Amino acid sequence: MFRCSVVFCGRGAAKRFASSFSSESALPPNLLLPTNLVDPARLRRGPPPSDSPLPLLSRCDAVVPAHLRPLQTWVETLERPDAEPLGLTELHPDVFAVHPRLDILHQVETWQRNFKRVSHAHTKVRGEVRGGGKKPWNQKGSGRARHGSIRSPLWRGGGVANGPRGPTSYYYMLPMKVRVQGLKVALSSKMAQDYLYVVDSLDLPSPDPQYLLDLIKHKHWGESVLIVDVGDEFSENILQATANLKTVNIIPAVGLNVHSMLKHEALVLTLNTVRFLEEKLLWHDERFTSLYPFALPYSDLP
Amino acid sequence: MAACLNLALRGAFLSQGRNVPAVWIRFVCNHPPENMKTVISESTEEYKFVERLIPPSRVPTPPKHAGPAPSGWTPPADTPPPLPYMIRRSRMHNIPVYTDLTHGSRKTTLVRKVEGDIWALENDVKQYLKEVVGKELPTQVNEVTMTLKVKGHFD
Repeated sequence: MFRCSVVFCGRGAAKRFASSFSSESALPPNLLLPTNLVDPARLRRGPPPSDSPLPLLSRCDAVVPAHLRPLQTWVETLERPDAEPLGLTELHPDVFAVHPRLDILHQVETWQRNFKRVSHAHTKVRGEVRGGGKKPWNQKGSGRARHGSIRSPLWRGGGVANGPRGPTSYYYMLPMKVRVQGLKVALSSKMAQDYLYVVDSLDLPSPDPQYLLDLIKHKHWGESVLIVDVGDEFSENILQATANLKTVNIIPAVGLNVHSMLKHEALVLTLNTVRFLEEKLLWHDERFTSLYPFALPYSDLP
Repeated sequence: MAACLNLALRGAFLSQGRNVPAVWIRFVCNHPPENMKTVISESTEEYKFVERLIPPSRVPTPPKHAGPAPSGWTPPADTPPPLPYMIRRSRMHNIPVYTDLTHGSRKTTLVRKVEGDIWALENDVKQYLKEVVGKELPTQVNEVTMTLKVKGHFD
């Protein structure tokens, strides 16, 4: 309990210490804070109550199991920084409230890092090093140690005995269902930790990156934000605003992956993205195993 | 015009009493009349025969059964019973209880897809199997994967 209270007011204590130490009120730029600090400003927004007057903007398309209730979240807008939420939306529990499988998250994250890796480290073996075919001196009589070639691993300039051999590929594929479950677990974790936000559409009033940063600061979304939208076309304003920002990034919905979700603190989805993700991820729960690759046509692919 | 010429030749041959070579008859029959033009047309109405052969990718919902089906399959209840745990059906709408045989003689029964209070399920299963078998069976609860293993084969 004592440790939690220290963590809770750590940021406030640092701020007070810094302000007494120098005349600036800002934190020093090289201050490293622990990542599990709780920001009290984020706790003020709670989940929507069941009797909220705001309209339900969209329901779940897929069938929700009888023993589960759909989750509800606020739908916000990016037009004005101090706008109230526009309404509520329902989220499917089988995508946004699955059991938190940290082992699957770890598996998918390590797979994402390693399956593209090709290490080009290569050393020459004693047979590949130039020279060394002739016995340097006679076996007996010279008084020196016996050797068969001047390029054995014992010699300076000789080959490496057990070194890295050639380009090695670390490619492997996790089963499709494991990767899909990893996405669902990541989305559920973001939802459970209050880092998931739903926005009606990505229309910014200006292409100014500072506006976006101020909006995120005002709404206390987090340090880094990943914005996800469906479709090929994005509005010019949001593209220009996020182009030169390092902590705010925008990706299409087909590019959603566990590594990006873990790298960014907050995740912002549009309503269309939520429906798209639910449709695609829930199909894997009720599909047959593939007769032929799913890239070829089936009659009812999502 | 060439067809008329060939017909005249054939007629000339027949009048002379010779057998017309079969080749010539075939040549005459297969030659198309020159005043017809071949038109290539595409039609997409026949594609429906291909479309109905493409298989579905989703498992269909089973037809409504009042009570158990002839194979012994029971449909899930419309309202789940008010228990602290829930066991979902598999994607083929079956009960997710699987038997396993390792090392030639080690029998285990695995209950997958558990949601909710898994320890309550473990207590209920132990109690029920004690009445069925007569002794306490060792069970293993895996909270990470939400599965329950019981020693012995129980279908």
